[in-house]
Amino acid sequence: MFETCVEIRRHFSDYLDDRCERESLRSIRFHLNYCASCREELEQMQAIQAELQALPRRRVPPALALSMRVHISQRVHRDLLRQLWVRCGNALQPLLIPASGGVLTAIIFFGLLMGWQVVPASNIPDVPLEIVTPPRVRELAPINFNDGDQAVVVLTQIDAAGRVVGYKVLSGPVTPELTRSLDRTIYFSLFAPATMFGRPTDGQVVLSLRRITVRG
Amino acid sequence: MGVALEQALPAASHEATLVAELRAGSEEAFAYLLAVYQNPVFNLVAHIVEQRTDAADVLQEVFVKVFRSIRHFHGESTLKTWIYRIAIHEASNHRRSWLRRRLREALSLDEDAAVSEMVLAKSPEQPETPYQALEQAERQKLVQRALASLAQPYRTVVVLREMEGLAYEEIAQVLGVSEGTVKSRLLRGRELLKRKLGSCMRRQDV
Repeated sequence: MFETCVEIRRHFSDYLDDRCERESLRSIRFHLNYCASCREELEQMQAIQAELQALPRRRVPPALALSMRVHISQRVHRDLLRQLWVRCGNALQPLLIPASGGVLTAIIFFGLLMGWQVVPASNIPDVPLEIVTPPRVRELAPINFNDGDQAVVVLTQIDAAGRVVGYKVLSGPVTPELTRSLDRTIYFSLFAPATMFGRPTDGQVVLSLRRITVRG
Repeated sequence: MGVALEQALPAASHEATLVAELRAGSEEAFAYLLAVYQNPVFNLVAHIVEQRTDAADVLQEVFVKVFRSIRHFHGESTLKTWIYRIAIHEASNHRRSWLRRRLREALSLDEDAAVSEMVLAKSPEQPETPYQALEQAERQKLVQRALASLAQPYRTVVVLREMEGLAYEEIAQVLGVSEGTVKSRLLRGRELLKRKLGSCMRRQDV
């Protein structure tokens, strides 16, 4: 009897939910007919089930429902904005390097093109724009060589105004006659001064003088 | 947003439309979802969390999560089951963190006061006399206490079955357990309730 009651009571939960198989249901009903204890047990369980089902449901207070709706709406929209921002970032990121490269190329190309288009201002008389230029001979006075065909090499010092400051014979016969002739020649010759960054400055020029005989 | 709307839970075809609208971010669909599910979810959450005043916070978290993850809902279960699963997960997490906090701090709780602050729906069977009303209120208080004293796994199953009317299959889906487990937890929960309330019921009958 006791074994059967225990076994039957294990099925009471299914019985309450109408989940018993036909055989179990028949056994339970048969048992309940003569077992007052189990009948009372089942009645108690049914009463508790009825009480549970009749319990008042908790409802969201209207103020809470409204504030919750506002709060959720705010959070959902804030998240949407964030998502939009992330999506924009993701979409633009792959384009960032090509776009930067394109802009940089355009700047370089435009700069080079504009550099070629610029016409340099012409200065007449033109000023040499090289960094350093040596002194130049503008006009050399005639010199009289009386002795042979030997050449004379002279190192001449020219100041910033184009005047000869001094000279030195580097090779050749140094005779009093030649010295006089050289003094005269250099005195009457005209020189352009050396320049540095376009400005006149002191410099040296090497003159190689030789007698030229023309037979005719 | 009333009881009629709450009872008219969406059918399967209607549910697919509702989910599509929710995914599209429709405000009206969100409002409808709240109107239909906020009270059942609130009732369920209030029975799981230890401190019932926290139910409002948990409810809010549940629906934020629902709206955020609606695009991951592919209809493997019903929308109701899916929402209940989120609710139970959130409520359980909240309960665990509350218990941890409680271990650190000594809190004085006034459960009865918290319950009295909540809005309770009127019972369908209205008592005829003041005496019957008092008796019904006392009985409900006893049942509430007995239910609250159950361990959380049993309490959750009993609430889902008896109060929310979910089938065994649905409860198994919500909790992520087998139907056999649902059955055994329900049996154990009912036995415990009978043990706690049996004598009271007998006295009332007498």
